[in-house]
Amino acid sequence: MTNAPRPLSLLCEITYRCNLQCPYCYNPLNLAGYRNELDGDTWRRVVNEAADIGVLQVHVSGGEPTLRPNEAIGVVEAASARGLYTNLITQGTFLDDALLDRFITAGLEHVQISIQAPEAKLADRIAGTNVHEKKLVAIERVMKRGIAFTLNCVIHRANHDMLPQVIELAERLGVRRLELANTQFYGWAFENRAWLMPTRAQVRAGERIVAEARERLAGRMQITYVLPDYYEEFPKPCMHGWGNAFMTVAPNGDVLPCPAAASITSLHFDNVRERPLREIWESSDAFVAYRGTAWMPEPCRSCERREIDFGGCRCQAFALLGDAGATDPACAKSPHHGVIAAAVEERPPETFVPRRMQTTTPS
Amino acid sequence: MNASATVRLAPGVRLHQEEGGVAFLLIPEGVVELSPTAVAIVELLDGARTLDDVTQLLAERYDASPDELRSDVDQLCAEFRSKGYLR
Repeated sequence: MTNAPRPLSLLCEITYRCNLQCPYCYNPLNLAGYRNELDGDTWRRVVNEAADIGVLQVHVSGGEPTLRPNEAIGVVEAASARGLYTNLITQGTFLDDALLDRFITAGLEHVQISIQAPEAKLADRIAGTNVHEKKLVAIERVMKRGIAFTLNCVIHRANHDMLPQVIELAERLGVRRLELANTQFYGWAFENRAWLMPTRAQVRAGERIVAEARERLAGRMQITYVLPDYYEEFPKPCMHGWGNAFMTVAPNGDVLPCPAAASITSLHFDNVRERPLREIWESSDAFVAYRGTAWMPEPCRSCERREIDFGGCRCQAFALLGDAGATDPACAKSPHHGVIAAAVEERPPETFVPRRMQTTTPS
Repeated sequence: MNASATVRLAPGVRLHQEEGGVAFLLIPEGVVELSPTAVAIVELLDGARTLDDVTQLLAERYDASPDELRSDVDQLCAEFRSKGYLR
């Protein structure tokens, strides 16, 4: 029984460890539950199994993937040997010349480095440590090599008003691709949602600022800016459909249809240590559960947009409604859309919960 | 776009072709499936040929009128450039 579509992209989460403590991280809250990390040989096998079933692109991320440089470089090597496109997603604090050399020699094609804000004071407060200046050095280092590069900044209430300065910084650095990524509320970001949620006025201003910058910088800089789905009429087409083109392998080897899927406790996820990747993709319970359109309830089932936004995000439906099979409440047609409206109006707390390995101290 | 403009795939963007005519553009954050027409055009974008050259070459190859092809070439190049696939 295999009418599974062809997977195109694999996200390798090499580790969930990170030296930063950003409150908008989508990683799971129980970071300590992922300490049993896959070894380098297993990662290479996973990449080869992915290439065998059609994957064309490998993203290397985490946590901070360069905390395990040998494993991260091994993934790039194995992917390049099969002709796959490779992308390193990093916060850059360990990316010195020697490490960069190793990645480039291994065949790396693209690097994405994220900053927390356009200036050190706020950036370092968000990151929980003094790293902003170090990141700027890493960015310049990457750009000097001529390897394709994207600057990423995760956007939320505390830095939303600084969009013009983020764009200015990107211009000053000579960046060709800038991603202004509105916070997606999963994992730590969901925990910190009220603190991170931008105001309606900020979102409106952001649209204007980005439109103006796109026009002014046309042909020089590509700017990606996706509106937060809490402020949109329709949900985001999450993963372009569950089990449709993307898969994620978590640090412990669990295979996830979406990087945030481990939050759906009603599903069981198979592990690359126990089953071949092909089997997991084609027929494991978790991948089959919400693949296609047959699982959809109303109003999705009869909606003309069912193959445009695929019912939205399963993780969001589970987080907000406790049912991963419900219509994403971000959709204005959802009978539970009120929970989104309420979240937008929530009063932000004074401060945020930093992302940490141990959070649950027994009380 | 101007008929004398020259474009090529942007750094970090790569054409991937498979047997049976299946082709994809590999871009930093994703994979874009290409139609056979798009592949025929993208293959000829080397940064030296003008859009006019590309149109002429395709007209000869497919025995079609350049006027019909010009709008295909123009549209695709304008769209791909605005998405950052071409430079």
